[in-house]
Amino acid sequence: MSESSLDSLLKPKCITVIGASREPSKWGYKVFHNIVSNGYKGRAYPVNPSAGKIDGHKCYADVGAIPGAVDLAIIIVPASGVLKVVDECGAKGVKSICVITAGFSEVGPEGAALEEKLKEKAKSYDMRMLGPNTMGFVNNSISLNASIIPRMPPKGEISFISQSGALGLSLVDWAIGSRLGLNCVVSTGNKADVSEADLLKFFEEDPHTWTIAMYIEGLKDGRKFMDAAMKVKKAKLAIKAGVSQAGARAAASHTGSLAGSDMVYDEAFRQCGVIRVEGIEEMFDAAMALSTQPRAKGNRVAILSNGGGAAIMASDACERRGMSVPQLTKHTSAGIARLLPAFASVKNPIDTVAKSDYELYKDTLKMLIDDADIDCVMVIYAHAGFTRADEPARAVIDTLKEKYPKPVVACWMGGEEVNAVAGMFRKNRVPYYPVPERAAEALWSLIKYNEFLQGAGK
Amino acid sequence: MMPGEVEVKAMLAKGGIPVNEGYAVHSAAEAAEMARHMGFPVVVKVLSPKIPHKSDLGLVDLNLCSPDAVGDAYERIVKKARTIDPDASAVVEAMAAQGTEVIIGAKRDPQFGPTVLFGLGGIFVEVFKDVSIRVAPVNRQMALSMIKEIKGYAILKGFRGKSAVDLEALADVIVKTSRLMMSDESIMELDMNPVMAYDKGAMAVDARALIKD
Repeated sequence: MSESSLDSLLKPKCITVIGASREPSKWGYKVFHNIVSNGYKGRAYPVNPSAGKIDGHKCYADVGAIPGAVDLAIIIVPASGVLKVVDECGAKGVKSICVITAGFSEVGPEGAALEEKLKEKAKSYDMRMLGPNTMGFVNNSISLNASIIPRMPPKGEISFISQSGALGLSLVDWAIGSRLGLNCVVSTGNKADVSEADLLKFFEEDPHTWTIAMYIEGLKDGRKFMDAAMKVKKAKLAIKAGVSQAGARAAASHTGSLAGSDMVYDEAFRQCGVIRVEGIEEMFDAAMALSTQPRAKGNRVAILSNGGGAAIMASDACERRGMSVPQLTKHTSAGIARLLPAFASVKNPIDTVAKSDYELYKDTLKMLIDDADIDCVMVIYAHAGFTRADEPARAVIDTLKEKYPKPVVACWMGGEEVNAVAGMFRKNRVPYYPVPERAAEALWSLIKYNEFLQGAGK
Repeated sequence: MMPGEVEVKAMLAKGGIPVNEGYAVHSAAEAAEMARHMGFPVVVKVLSPKIPHKSDLGLVDLNLCSPDAVGDAYERIVKKARTIDPDASAVVEAMAAQGTEVIIGAKRDPQFGPTVLFGLGGIFVEVFKDVSIRVAPVNRQMALSMIKEIKGYAILKGFRGKSAVDLEALADVIVKTSRLMMSDESIMELDMNPVMAYDKGAMAVDARALIKD
């Protein structure tokens, strides 16, 4: 298979949708409509021999009739017609195809045979292929929604590779709801050609992607994935679903039964610097920190809190994960002692005893960031009703605007007033979490990412 | 297929992994003669691909010090073993000194290819599953990190007056196992259980392998 760049696929200048439809309930309509209604600046042509116009765009009888060069053909015709369409694309010189049509290896041996033919055909024309059985992709950096995903997510630095199309869909919806920014969303489908390994390479070079998140059910070629991931210095996160012990049960030796598929995935991911997470929430909690914060050079955490309970919970959550909450330097302690009431704790975790005014949070946070024995900071605000949640939040935002050498995560606990602050944090690129455990997990991912970079000689 | 222990050990020895000397025998007289030739003490073990848990079934006799004892052990073990596997025979091996028992194994994973496993032997592997793994190739540094990663590492480091085992020698076996798996694609699974870890050196005392037909 050709290993050429995925630019023509994921950053096309001209797209055709083969099997475009005028019927709004059909995918052939949805995909074309999504391409032309989200601000995509390239050209887009619908192909349908029997329709006149779709969304005001003139339909072409076949791909050959389209004027000018075509980078990407999105194919949504019945499975039996796909090979013929690929031949027509080949004759036209189309560079890449995205096969949304299903009915290939996912349905059985006959489908698998058809998929093999499709793969060979695409290869013979030197085309890169996404799918088959994909839900398409979104590339926010060129305002392109070449998928059935109904709404564009907000722009951001996280790119998401999903083996499950439906999960990709719900995730975008979730991202919109939680104002989480995404750059690309790619549904890989059956991965007959383009796999996670190719996409990792593409996203490593893509200036709009800072963090790569993946949902993986199974890899076709684990070695190729590892080799590709090893070269990627951007943060990588993965959910590996389908934890199966079936293989282990059939093993003939101790090693066979112990080195089950899940344990091997765990270790393989660790070796190539992919941070494995359990679920969506954890993945995006981590992604938020990884895509906005500088590297954590070590595992020493300082905790600033306006309440003792939250501070202790945060310390526990950090230490359980392997981080340390060490003593502060004398210089820092003395500095902070001057800011706090006499009965407040100036030991790490710092408890301001209910004080959370702007100046106090700002000055304390600055001193903590400056402490030579501290690698990262968690700032906690537990809402009590008589203080304002936005005051310490502004202190964090303003501090991070001024100085940014160490990662900081925010944990704001409370109800409505705290929710209003969430938007402020997101807008200002401060990773924000509603509970200390999630903030600790996010810090931990920053530390693990740094360990990989150090191990990889960076 | 599962080759006999003698063949597996020959394969390991070829890969540079220390094993104790051992020979397949087919009669009590041959067993006794072989033992006399090798020097005492020796071990007599059942030789059958169908019997993985040899000692659980009482099919291993350790520390035999005379030709008669060896002959008797052969008769007893083979007789009992043939109720399970009519083709069972026995192997006479040099008695390895007792060391700290560890398991070193390997498995060809369908997605990631060769993987190598390390753990403490005996109940630690059976009950606690206290093992570490790596996707091969495994270099010396990775091998040492595998050893240090297990919970039972304290036992290998030496405690309560027990001296530390030769970690470098264990790392060497791990690295050579990785090399063996990378160079011989027919090996699907490999168990060296136990590998005896000594103050100086290490030796695979029992070994099994699953070879692609």
